[in-house]
Amino acid sequence: MKVAPSRPNIEDELAPARRQTNAMIAIDNVSHVFRTSGRQDHLALSNISLIIEDGAFVAILGPSGCGKSTLLYVVGGFVSPTEGLARVKGQAITGPGPDRGPVFQEFALFPWKSVLGNVMYGPRQQGVKSAEAEAQSRALIEMVGLKGFEHFYPKELSGGMKQRVALARTLAYHPAVLLMDEPFGALDAHTRTRLQNDLLNIWERDRKTVLFVTHSVDEAVFLSDRVVVMTRSPGRIKEVVEIDLPRPRRRSELLLDPRYQKYVVEIERMIDDTSEEQLRP
Amino acid sequence: MMSGRDLVSRAAPLLACLGLLGLWEIAALVLSTDSFPTAWVAIRAIPSILGDKESLINILDSLRRMAIGFAVGVIVSIPLGLMMGRSRLVASFFNPLLMVTYPVPKAALMPIIMLWLGVGDLAKTLVIFLGVSLPVIYHSFQGAKAVEEKMLWSGAAGNILFNSLDMGQYDTVYAMIIIIGAMGIGLDAAFENLRGKLVKWSEPSFEIPLSFA
Repeated sequence: MKVAPSRPNIEDELAPARRQTNAMIAIDNVSHVFRTSGRQDHLALSNISLIIEDGAFVAILGPSGCGKSTLLYVVGGFVSPTEGLARVKGQAITGPGPDRGPVFQEFALFPWKSVLGNVMYGPRQQGVKSAEAEAQSRALIEMVGLKGFEHFYPKELSGGMKQRVALARTLAYHPAVLLMDEPFGALDAHTRTRLQNDLLNIWERDRKTVLFVTHSVDEAVFLSDRVVVMTRSPGRIKEVVEIDLPRPRRRSELLLDPRYQKYVVEIERMIDDTSEEQLRP
Repeated sequence: MMSGRDLVSRAAPLLACLGLLGLWEIAALVLSTDSFPTAWVAIRAIPSILGDKESLINILDSLRRMAIGFAVGVIVSIPLGLMMGRSRLVASFFNPLLMVTYPVPKAALMPIIMLWLGVGDLAKTLVIFLGVSLPVIYHSFQGAKAVEEKMLWSGAAGNILFNSLDMGQYDTVYAMIIIIGAMGIGLDAAFENLRGKLVKWSEPSFEIPLSFA
């Protein structure tokens, strides 16, 4: 199947020059086609260009099936794009690496390892001495609020706790970029809110670059500096919205802030528009 | 303190053995033919077999064949099964062969193998090898296939070991091959050594190249 002709690079129009020079992730004209035997090929991503500067919290928002996770997997190096190139720190991405740490909706913890064992995995793989890796991991486990659960196994934990372990496991190998794929999607509303708050607290401490895929508008606006709104089939960038809200953000204040409400309504409208397009024959 | 329930569940395998021996005893008494002795008579014959040097040599020979067949089976099967689970190409190559061979009882292959290789150690070891490797290949294949992709990705991201997308952890696989191979050779040597100590009078057999005393 032929990939749609390239169109002007959205990021060029929107990005200030500083972003270009300080790029942590540069996605350049990436398209991805899923080839399926029998059925028609599916164009999941079409000409995506995006630059994310060091330390930015960027949300990718869109309806399910818009290719937002695929975009994240391209950056992770788990999926090789059919066309285009993604770079991290100027280096072309050819596969997974410890500079980009994923956190998945499915947690994907190692079931045969305890909480401590899961968190120690990264440092141990990188050759950190056992005692040192354990000390670091214990500190991280405490940071994500799981002190006392070091020797529990994943099957003994609740969903929220599992996701905390997954976050600690990823933070343990000090990735430059956190790739979060609907990390709170499988959690109940209350747990979700708590994890959002805790993630913001952790992020505000060390300001890692975060690429955060979600289909929740509130979540995207609450957490990020910038929201990338995508359309479905083929997945394109519809709009990039800068979220100009002060940090540190507190949920109780933000929910009452008219600017926050305006962002949410504005973005929800954009997504409705994309769904309308979708329904047209 | 162990509760009665725990005690019963611990003793269950023993009870099953006793039950089986009991059934054997009863069946033998009911049938009362010369060719089917009672369980008790059979058990009483064990010490004389273990005391007999000929039988000991034979038992150790069987154990050695089992060890070799098992070790070689495992060395071949686990890496093959894992590779089938992770690579569609390898799976589509070996799977039809596996599916055709799997249901055939290994004993049914015995006559063919005997025609090819005679009745020596090699034929017997081959049967053991086949008996071990087919289920092990199948289960490593299914196991490797069932591993969640996101878990592999999580492992890959935190790891310097996997650098390519095909997730081929070949250095580990080959390291394991060497380790298991060494275990096989070590086991064989241990059996040979034990045999040498228990039955000093017998000559070590050199029929199979792997064995050394």
